[in-house]
Amino acid sequence: MIPISDFILRLGWWLLLAPLLPGIINKVKAWVAGRRGPPVLQLYHDLAKLWRKGVVLSTLASPGFVIAPAVAWAALAGAALLTPLGPLGGCLSFRGDVLLLIYLLALARFCTAWAAMETGSAFEGMGAAREVSYAVLTEAAIIAAVLSLSVQTSSVTLVTMLSPSAGAGAALLAAGLFTVLLAENCRVPFDDPNTHLELTMIHEAMILDHSGPPLAAILHGASLKLLLFSVLLVQAVLPMGQLSPPAAAGALAAGVLIVTVGVGLVESLLARLAFRRVPLLLTTAFLLCVFALLVAWKEGAK
Amino acid sequence: MTTGWLLLMAGAALGLSLVAGARWARAWLALTVTGAAAGLGAALSVLLGGGDWEWRNDFPPGGEPLHLRLDGLSAVFLALVAIVGAAGAGYAREYWSERRYPASAPRGRIWWSVLLLSMGLVLTASNGLHFLMAWEIFALAGYFLITLDNQRSGVRTAGWLYLAASHAGTMVLFAFFAALAARTGGWDLGPVRDQANLAPLFWLALFGFGVKAGFFPLHIWLPSAHANAPSHVSAIMSGVAIKLGVYGILRFSGWLPVPAAAGWVVTGLGAASALLGITFALAQNDFKRLLAYCSVENIGIILIGTGAALLAVTHGGALWGRLALAGALLHVWNHGAFKSLLFFGAGSVLHATGTREMSRLGGLWRAMPWTAGLFAFGSIAVAGLPPLNGFVSEWLVYLGLFDAVTGKGASAWAAAVIPAAILLAAAGAMAVAAFVKAGAMIFLGAPRTPSAEHAHECGPRMLGPMLALAGVCVAIGLAPVLFWPAVTRAVTAWRPAWAAADTTAPLAALGAVQVTLALLFVAAVVILNYTISADQRRRGPTWDCGHALPTARMQYTSASFAAIPAGWFHWILLPERKTRKPRGLFPADSLRLERVPETVLERVIGPLGAAIMLASATVLRLQHGRLQFYILYVLAGLVALGFLVLLGGAP
Amino acid sequence: MSGSLNLLIGLVIGLNLLALGSSRLPALIRAMSLQGVVLGMTPLLMEYERLDWRLVLVALATMAGKGLLIPSLLRRAMRAANIEREIEPFIGFVPSLLLGAGGTIAALALARALPLLPEHTGTLLVPGAIASMFTGFILLIGRAKAISQVCGYLILENGIYLFGLLLIHSTPLLVESGILLDVTVGVFIIGIIVDRIQRAFDTLDTRKLTTLRE
Repeated sequence: MIPISDFILRLGWWLLLAPLLPGIINKVKAWVAGRRGPPVLQLYHDLAKLWRKGVVLSTLASPGFVIAPAVAWAALAGAALLTPLGPLGGCLSFRGDVLLLIYLLALARFCTAWAAMETGSAFEGMGAAREVSYAVLTEAAIIAAVLSLSVQTSSVTLVTMLSPSAGAGAALLAAGLFTVLLAENCRVPFDDPNTHLELTMIHEAMILDHSGPPLAAILHGASLKLLLFSVLLVQAVLPMGQLSPPAAAGALAAGVLIVTVGVGLVESLLARLAFRRVPLLLTTAFLLCVFALLVAWKEGAK
Repeated sequence: MTTGWLLLMAGAALGLSLVAGARWARAWLALTVTGAAAGLGAALSVLLGGGDWEWRNDFPPGGEPLHLRLDGLSAVFLALVAIVGAAGAGYAREYWSERRYPASAPRGRIWWSVLLLSMGLVLTASNGLHFLMAWEIFALAGYFLITLDNQRSGVRTAGWLYLAASHAGTMVLFAFFAALAARTGGWDLGPVRDQANLAPLFWLALFGFGVKAGFFPLHIWLPSAHANAPSHVSAIMSGVAIKLGVYGILRFSGWLPVPAAAGWVVTGLGAASALLGITFALAQNDFKRLLAYCSVENIGIILIGTGAALLAVTHGGALWGRLALAGALLHVWNHGAFKSLLFFGAGSVLHATGTREMSRLGGLWRAMPWTAGLFAFGSIAVAGLPPLNGFVSEWLVYLGLFDAVTGKGASAWAAAVIPAAILLAAAGAMAVAAFVKAGAMIFLGAPRTPSAEHAHECGPRMLGPMLALAGVCVAIGLAPVLFWPAVTRAVTAWRPAWAAADTTAPLAALGAVQVTLALLFVAAVVILNYTISADQRRRGPTWDCGHALPTARMQYTSASFAAIPAGWFHWILLPERKTRKPRGLFPADSLRLERVPETVLERVIGPLGAAIMLASATVLRLQHGRLQFYILYVLAGLVALGFLVLLGGAP
Repeated sequence: MSGSLNLLIGLVIGLNLLALGSSRLPALIRAMSLQGVVLGMTPLLMEYERLDWRLVLVALATMAGKGLLIPSLLRRAMRAANIEREIEPFIGFVPSLLLGAGGTIAALALARALPLLPEHTGTLLVPGAIASMFTGFILLIGRAKAISQVCGYLILENGIYLFGLLLIHSTPLLVESGILLDVTVGVFIIGIIVDRIQRAFDTLDTRKLTTLRE
């Protein structure tokens, strides 16, 4: 365990930095489209505004409608605290914490889907159904990625797992994890965060009826999840352990920035996939992670 | 010594409850709970440090001297029997009360006591013949409990299917025990790990006990039996009875040598059951069938842990084998607790609304807040999400699998473990989907039919057992360290050679993290609620995209929710659809029915049976009712014998 | 002694052929009853030296039962059921006779191949027994009227009785008496049943009684 001050700093870092990423992505998209776009700090303003607002609840919604976003946000915050930050390590580290992280993300998904079904609206039912269905494939891909990291490093602890060796395995893993990042965070080509057409929504459909502070919790949680996946992706692919701590921190920051810009570019240059093609792309991500696992396996056998 | 006295007390109390069950319901409940508590005490006395208990007596029921034994492995299962047995007995007081079911309530009480007694006997029997006798009584007790409501034809059919499948398994078990007795020279059971010729008998045990455990593809009786039985019976069948199949597999893979392929096969069966079980669960529209198929999934998870342990035995990986088996045994307890909780919740819904179809329910949270909350709690537990107990046992199994893959260099056999881990993850995600569907369809939104509108909350006698089981889930989830010594004792009983291996699972850290998370969740909920002060909270109807007259039927249905994964798996789900589209310009009556059959039963065993019947019908032509021809057949046989003798067949 | 025994058994075989050839029920019943009387005498002949009063009693009972009681039961059933006295066979009379003769020859051959005790090898006991059983089967299979089938069954029973004589030293007489009682009671019951069948279906033709198949 680490001292309280370190814990608070770490928590602050995660919570305060997370809303920056959607802003960067929007700026990149605007730049590609030749616009000026919203300010990078726009999400901060939105969250502050939402926090001050009142709430409109559906007559059909149970107390779970407010409980679920809270639990989802707390789960994502817990997952974020478990994620190691390069040389700084994680807030807490024990054998098997990677599985706790994965299942905390699953808990967040459960809660968001539950809250979506609360209002009895068919839009949200559609979004929730899609979200939990595609999650089956992304979970398989994530476990395959974790297995490949685990085989490479012979450990099940996040801190020691995220020090990979470069090579074909890292490239495959990067591609696979990037696709999983896009899927889990509801980015193009899986889901368009700007759309509100029921035929095309997944995540947006699930949060359609939220307002005020619960919506702020959900939006912040989504940005936390994006930051978490970016940090994991960078650490899984770049050999951080071989750099000195300041260099590693700088590499981590640069890596996260690159990933965010990359997401923005992908969002600008690709169109959303038709829904029947989404499982195909997810399976491709899964297979990329499996191939990374095979490469790691072969290297371990040598 | 105490163990023996406690077991005797348990047996005596349950025996008395048998008598009391006929007329005196309160005495029956008291006696059953006392017996269960005594059984639990006996199990705990073995698990928490006392030695194994063994008792022999020359009194020969059936010709074999009595030999009873309670070691760590059977104590784990005995504890589960005790807890769920007592909870179910309490639940049944209101759920299957004398007032609503005057004829079948006394029968239900008597057979409940018989079931608990026979399960205790199965767990303590250490003689093959007595094991079989107790097993048969246990199966019959299950049948009579399932068919308590025998006025409905669906229940009767389910009972027959259960009985037929159970006896198919028992037949194979007869072969197993007879072969075992023949090869070891006696009916007495005990560790005989050195006789290599006993190894092939494992397959017989796997099949025979597997029919009871209900892994794919031997699960064909499970969905209809657990769906049609009264809910407290479904709870004990799903939570405890199928675990006795697991107990049989574990017991005899521990005492007898196992063939080398056993680990692969069991892990493969476990992985297949896990994924296919939850797929079938997701596709169901009947919430009790959904819970039944989910039991198949959880048995799959237990078998993955068992298979990994068997692989560890063959390939010498004591550390991770212990982890995997510990995860499997803890999952036995966890599944018993949360599945019983879920079935009790389902029973409460059924009791209130009278229907099992999820597409007829909805919005029940308002009338049944406790049931809704407990069902949501159980859903989180069954999906294996932190901070509850389902996560702890799946975490242990994952650790075992990961350690198998990463330890001691990459060997070919460890590659078999990787698909198991991946399928386990996919099954976990599908479990989340299935239980969001179940919880949402039943409790959230608006009531879809009048029967859902007029629901009422169940009484405290039904809520009490549910709360107790929820407490067990919370206890195991937040303080798993407390349960670790008991589970380790069972693992050591299974394989004494592994006793020296040290634990490598940081359960204390996990427990602390789970407690922290739980507190964090509570804090987040409180803060968020506080932030939305009362006057800033407005209520309004759900936005309906401008529909003039939205109806409750326009909500997402259970089949629609499961449509995407059901589409991926249509090759095994093979759904039957019936559609009647509206004609003309204006809205008219239309119909769409979708039913997912039990594929192995209706598409494999059914046609096979029909083919056999067809062949038999052809042979039936020999039976035309003419006496003369029958006597001619006899004479022909005799003449043939005579020819044999003539041609020198005689000595 | 062996010669007279063979003579009696030869008589039994002859009566077999007579039963096969008779076209009227009373003749069949008479042949069967005469066979029974002859068979009743056989143990007396075999045990000439050491005659026991119990043996004599059983032999007399056999003769009385098979010779008088059973035929009277059958005739009573015949009269009460009011059946015609002709028999319509599946297997015609000439084929039955030929089959019976062939069976007798086969029985002789078969008996030679069986491992018998030395005291029995010279006698016609085993061939006679097999031949009677075969005759009984032919009657059971070949005849359509229920009462003819009963006679066939009784001839079959005679054949089994002959076989039993091989064991005359070890078979307790109680068993023999028991069998006799069984047969008598059986025929008594069949008499009742025949009456019922006649009343219910107005026919005793077993070709028409084929509905109860499963």
